[in-house]
Amino acid sequence: MSGADRERTRWFLRNILPHESALRGWLSRRPLPGVDADDVIQEAYSILAELETVEGIRYPRAYLFQVARSVITRHVRRARIVPIHSVDDLERLEHGDDAPSPEQHTIDRDELRQLARAIAAMPVKTREAFILRRVKDLPQREIAARMRISENTVETHISRGVLFLIDWFGRGGNKRSQTSKTLEAEIAGIDGRARHQSRH
Amino acid sequence: MAERDTSRDIDRAASNWTARLDRGPLTPNEEDAFQTWLRADARSRGALMRAQALSMMSESAQALGPHFDPVAFEASRRPRFAGLSRRQALTWTGGAAAAASLVALGVALPAAGAVVSTRRGEIRLVPLKDGSTVLLNTESRVRVKYDDGQRCVTLLQGEAYFSVARDERRPFVVEVDGRRLRTAQAAFRVRKLDADPVDVLVNEGQVDLAVEGRTAAPLALKANTRLILSDAVGGAVEHPQPIAPEAVTRELAWREGKLAFEGETLKQAAETFARYSDTRIQIRDPDLAREPVTGLFAANDPVGFGRAIAHVFDAKLTQDGDAIVLTRRAAAE
Repeated sequence: MSGADRERTRWFLRNILPHESALRGWLSRRPLPGVDADDVIQEAYSILAELETVEGIRYPRAYLFQVARSVITRHVRRARIVPIHSVDDLERLEHGDDAPSPEQHTIDRDELRQLARAIAAMPVKTREAFILRRVKDLPQREIAARMRISENTVETHISRGVLFLIDWFGRGGNKRSQTSKTLEAEIAGIDGRARHQSRH
Repeated sequence: MAERDTSRDIDRAASNWTARLDRGPLTPNEEDAFQTWLRADARSRGALMRAQALSMMSESAQALGPHFDPVAFEASRRPRFAGLSRRQALTWTGGAAAAASLVALGVALPAAGAVVSTRRGEIRLVPLKDGSTVLLNTESRVRVKYDDGQRCVTLLQGEAYFSVARDERRPFVVEVDGRRLRTAQAAFRVRKLDADPVDVLVNEGQVDLAVEGRTAAPLALKANTRLILSDAVGGAVEHPQPIAPEAVTRELAWREGKLAFEGETLKQAAETFARYSDTRIQIRDPDLAREPVTGLFAANDPVGFGRAIAHVFDAKLTQDGDAIVLTRRAAAE
């Protein structure tokens, strides 16, 4: 990552990511047909990543909601048939925003413990590689030597670790459990086999 | 038109790129592929920023210090499992040292076989003297009988995960409903619940199922396959089904005290939770009961699950003694 990218990522981590679960909750409460909350969130983040500067953004939470709203508007307009009620929904969305969150600055306190728990819950090998990379700050090459696995395997473990954190913090909204009605589209993409087989 | 990637696909690719960039500089070819990926979808750049932000956030794990022991954090959320003392919970969370202490306690193996069982909500790791282990899920019972010729475990009820240490001379045999699963070395799950046919899932290695009353070779079950045993011996032909590694992980999430769902109905999820706790989840509304559920939940926390569900589906949650009742808000008003 370049220095500028790193700065943007840091800004995003501190100012935007803490509001993801609120945004997802808001998007999920009364879903619009054909609009997937996770798609909207990713696309809104893309817009934030591509902004020339974020210096002027005083209320990141409100800004995030506004960007998400613009993404939805674009999606709805792009669809060939606009169902009448989605126009109402758009108006409703105008009032969906909340004031900047006061708890924004208390998130750090809990963050480290959450992170420790997340890492603890990773599959064993992934956890080992991830701890060597992130807690002990060893480069991937050295981790490969130490774990006696290939560098490609280390990379795969790091990738899995990152995906794990996305599920844990992102999709789950800072809690261990996660569920999402808005994942229906994704679920529908999995064939019936998975549905029937994944009984416990 | 090509099928559109799901947000999950995008997240997976974003994680891969994050790990690749973390490894070192990209080659020119990789750089091209990276830029192509970034441009291919309006969501890519945002997903990458989130993946990198979380990766960056995890750098603060350095604050945990060089002696960070993840097991301590695992254990801290486990003791609520019914019937499991803190000491047992620590043992169960694994780690070679903890497992060794259980070996020292020893599981007595009388000639007739030792029966080991778990109560509802309990998970128990049973180390065997050859280095193999059996992890028993909730409300499960096995009989362990070792002799010079074979290592035999009978699954009497419930669900167990077998991690078999290699021994070419003495095969490891799991008996269930009169059927024999045999291996020299493997890791696999066998489940026998009252309502369902026996379900075998092989995670690592190979397990052979003896085919009764036939001269045919045993049926070989390889890693990442699953077999549902037909009820009647010699009945319907049994075919092992390949199963995706992610699905295997989901199926085995109970080993970590969790339940993973991906599109099961709320009704099915509630039934699954019922295996782990006396608390019942009741869904009063048939439409709500059919809603698909996706997520990773603590098996011992049906109330937390209920709350998450109520939040996502805009339902009302009430507690009535040992029951959690979920109703649609509209229906409740």
